[in-house]
Amino acid sequence: MKRIIKLSMGLLLASSIVLAEATPTIEEEALGLRKTNLYDEDNATKGDGTQYGDAMAGTSQKIERAFQDAPPMIPHSIEGMLPITINNNMCKGCHMPDVAPALKATPIPDSHFTDFRPKHTYDGKEFKKAIDEMKNEVSIEKKKELIGARFNCSQCHAPQSKNEAPKNNFTPEFTTPDGANKSSWNGSKLTEGLDTLAD
Amino acid sequence: MALSRRDFLKSTAAASAASAIGMSVPSSLQAKADEAQSGWRWDKAACRFCGTGCGIMMATKEGKIVAVKGDPAAPVNRGLNCIKGYFNAKIMYGADRLKTPLLRVNDKGEFDKKGKFAPVSWKRAFDEMEIHIKKALKASGPEGVGVFASGQYTVMEGYAALKMMKGGLRSNAFDPNARHCMASAVVGFYQTFGIDEPSGCYDDIELTDTVVAWGSNMAEMHPILWSRVTDRKLSDPERVKVINISTYRHRTSDLADMEIIFTPNTDLALWNYIAREIVYRDDTEKIIDWDFVNKHIVFAASPVNIGYGMRREGEKSLVDGKYTPLEMETIQKEMSKVVSATEAPALKPYGYKEGDVMKNEVPLVDGKPEVLKHWEISFEEYKKFLEPYTLDYVASISKGNPDEDMEEFKKKLQTLANLYIEKGRKVVSFWTMGMNQHTRGTWVNTLSYNVHFLLNKQAKPGDGAFSLTGQPSACGTAREVGTFCHRLPADMMVANPQHREITEKAWKIPATTLNPVGNQHIMKIHRDIEDGVIKFAWVNVCNPYQDTASAKHWIKAAREMDNFIVTSDGYPGISAKVSDLILPSAMIYEKWGAYGNAERRTQHWRQQVLPVGDAMSDTWQWVELSKRFKIKDVWGEYTLRNGLKLPSVIEEAKKMGYTEDTTLFDILFANERAKSYKLDANDPIQKGYDNSEGYGDSRNVKGSDGEVFKGYGFFVQKYLFEEYADFGRGHAHDLADFDTYHKVRGLKWPVVDGKETQWRFNVQYDPYAAKAVKAAGTNNSHAFYGTLAKALVQGDLMGVKDPTPKPLPNKAKIFARPYMDPPEMPDKEYPVWLATGRVLEHWHSGTMTMRVPELYRAVPEALCYMHPEDAKKYDVKQGELCWVESRRGKVKARVETRGRNRPSRGLVFVPWFDEKVFINKVCLDATCPQSGQTDFKKCAVKIYKA
Repeated sequence: MKRIIKLSMGLLLASSIVLAEATPTIEEEALGLRKTNLYDEDNATKGDGTQYGDAMAGTSQKIERAFQDAPPMIPHSIEGMLPITINNNMCKGCHMPDVAPALKATPIPDSHFTDFRPKHTYDGKEFKKAIDEMKNEVSIEKKKELIGARFNCSQCHAPQSKNEAPKNNFTPEFTTPDGANKSSWNGSKLTEGLDTLAD
Repeated sequence: MALSRRDFLKSTAAASAASAIGMSVPSSLQAKADEAQSGWRWDKAACRFCGTGCGIMMATKEGKIVAVKGDPAAPVNRGLNCIKGYFNAKIMYGADRLKTPLLRVNDKGEFDKKGKFAPVSWKRAFDEMEIHIKKALKASGPEGVGVFASGQYTVMEGYAALKMMKGGLRSNAFDPNARHCMASAVVGFYQTFGIDEPSGCYDDIELTDTVVAWGSNMAEMHPILWSRVTDRKLSDPERVKVINISTYRHRTSDLADMEIIFTPNTDLALWNYIAREIVYRDDTEKIIDWDFVNKHIVFAASPVNIGYGMRREGEKSLVDGKYTPLEMETIQKEMSKVVSATEAPALKPYGYKEGDVMKNEVPLVDGKPEVLKHWEISFEEYKKFLEPYTLDYVASISKGNPDEDMEEFKKKLQTLANLYIEKGRKVVSFWTMGMNQHTRGTWVNTLSYNVHFLLNKQAKPGDGAFSLTGQPSACGTAREVGTFCHRLPADMMVANPQHREITEKAWKIPATTLNPVGNQHIMKIHRDIEDGVIKFAWVNVCNPYQDTASAKHWIKAAREMDNFIVTSDGYPGISAKVSDLILPSAMIYEKWGAYGNAERRTQHWRQQVLPVGDAMSDTWQWVELSKRFKIKDVWGEYTLRNGLKLPSVIEEAKKMGYTEDTTLFDILFANERAKSYKLDANDPIQKGYDNSEGYGDSRNVKGSDGEVFKGYGFFVQKYLFEEYADFGRGHAHDLADFDTYHKVRGLKWPVVDGKETQWRFNVQYDPYAAKAVKAAGTNNSHAFYGTLAKALVQGDLMGVKDPTPKPLPNKAKIFARPYMDPPEMPDKEYPVWLATGRVLEHWHSGTMTMRVPELYRAVPEALCYMHPEDAKKYDVKQGELCWVESRRGKVKARVETRGRNRPSRGLVFVPWFDEKVFINKVCLDATCPQSGQTDFKKCAVKIYKA
């Protein structure tokens, strides 16, 4: 009789198996994220469910950043805080640097008050670039206001459901002592490594 | 591997820069940072995900990615990424990465279609592929060997696959997932401009006064472009207007000044309404720029009874009864339909009235419907065509929110038209899937240019209709390389004998090797598998068994028909699961590559790390496969389905110095030119970087011959890129040389004399337009110099009257194309529209992003977004499961009535990234008959408690 050993992919691939008589095989259902029969929906198949944290803003435990200067995820409930509209960005209410410490909110970092976009011009006759893109020039200008390009907070920051996520073997390395909690992307770091052919 | 000396120098440079700026850095921190970062290597790369094409900076240490940041030097995104962009750092490290080939076997280890998967060597994998390709060729000829290609191929992979399929195996059953994504945009470009891809560029966003999003949730699907729109809006909130036109409310509405919710498919009517306002008010208000129109534009019409790209009567699987009576209710409309009350006014100028039976039988050319046919008409005919699109008619059929006041809605339409019309107001219209995934997708694409042309607001800074692209290299690879069944590189076509000849010469293959019949687009490939014609299919960098509508048919055909399906992927998605053989592919930063984005920008990157396990790149897989085929195996005579004979070219090949036993590897990939691209550790581009195809690598992967793969010994990626780029150079598709792209953050083609092109067809910015105008001896502002379909016969709305073709050099076309109903609309049994699409946090079928914990937890499941009143009506509750059921199938999903997508009553939205909410089982595989692109945005469903 056929002997079928179910193995997780990780286990299987870690061991060096040669195709031989009692070949360990993997069932189709063991592969991928859906572990139920693919050809039929009248079974246990359903989405994993969503359970965002219900901690109120200001009371939640920060989620560690995924790597140095990665955008932090939102640890608190955002119920009632979206959508972000031109006249109402509730995130700013707590996260602007002048109020954030008092509200125990993560202050919006310097990078979000830095405008990187050069201002090309067109006067109706001639289009002129503000910088030389062939030389990889950058334009870095500090501003007092949150940069418009970073106004849509939900484009980078998302709440996190309590689900157990599929395993990922990425290992971060933090280069500042508080790198898991704080952006260090400012000053000379903004241009670090940009000259990719430099020797 | 990483050069420590170089990194050492870099960190010194960073430290000196910091001190120069005068930042205060505590010395202990400084020491620790230096210690940690001394092992980091930063390099530039392109984002893996959408067609925006952002630049990222990527840090590696000891052969692993450790961080990603937005590239401040990248013109597209200037130091900012979206959430997916940042998490490029983690996409390659999901724990269930495929690390070895897996084959379905019986207990003796033999291939068995009904068997379970067992790990096998690369050698065994290629043995099986060779056997099954040869078997398929024998059974069905080149039409029996199919490839599901991709808009996510690197340029080099796409080119290698194209060359092997079309030049080697003589098969045109080669079509990308990009067919599902922008084929309608392409045909729109071809028909309007005679050449593919947008005239404008992203700088339009900062230069315009008005952004109109048509059926495009840019806020989630092109987040960085949306951040640029937001920045522009906030910079001058009074002047800058943002309009969102959509079938349901979503995040793009959140920043919009005005939102227009329309009934699915009526975007055709909305565009024609704007055009009607322009044309019918022109007498009194002088709106049309007649000087521009007279010099640059002709008017055109085409047949309306072209069907809906579904299966047709007589096809094998229909005859065999593989489609249920319920499914046939919709499919019968492919043959004929009854003209409805909603479409009757729009079809009146074509001689139809309500209740008429429209037979979908456009003239046949070579046995297939000639759906691309069109002819020139007069402006008066065009004006007659526009007559029905009054405010009353258009508002009555297009108001998509039953709870909105009709008068309010009409006011919005008037405001929209007036914004376009306003003199001195610059306008950009953006669209993506809403207008492309549409049974009249080509039509609606062409309608957008009509409005911009009449106003002379096209191909100018800050003005233009701009088709955004979904995938990272739908433009760069799928379209420019030509990984479509009907295409060759640089806008050439397999049907054109001159184009075949140019390609055959460039590839050093015998004349008449290339197959002139290219009609197996991606739906046709699925249908040919179901019909038993295609016996071998290979999935490359896509997930066609999750992403294709009417999915139940295709997964069944893969598992139950006599065929052999192979999937190459980084992770086991649904396509891998239904396959017979699974191959582990190197993922994006594990190989050298290049992508081309939606603004014609080509961007390259270097191999950052070694692939995991025994994974190898798709380029390598294609090149290794080519070693298995000799001339005598593939270049004999074949008779195609339509009776056409592909001649044997073996004798011709011998005259070229090949023998019967010369392999395709020697001809297509390891030829003299290829070997001239040297691997050179001192080349500043290559220095310090791995090249697993060139050298092999420290993993010592055993290759297709069972021996350790030691590399090709030449710079294969550079060879493939340069040979491909030669096709476009001098033909308005000019790319810079390989090395230049490693020095800059991408360039927008055509790159002429080292300069990129900002606005195509505009004499001031596009050297090809300037040249065309000079040659024509005019002082025109524009030259629409594309060459495809640039001689038209003459007629009126009803048909051709004078069959003499009249050339129209340097001109573009305005098309008369009416509103028509889609083939399936809500009715008593299935009362709700279903639209599908994506969410910000997940890419396509989720194979990568669902394995990044932050992205998974952000959106762990696909929800069924619906109006709270509909939830009540169908007795389903927020957060609880409901069934979403169509004539084709059903799935369970949780109800969301308060989420980011907020449909009006009568429509639900379900994204398709979730394997567990397999929504494509529900969707309908109707396509635009002209482009072959599926309409994933419209079908009829019922909702009930699960």
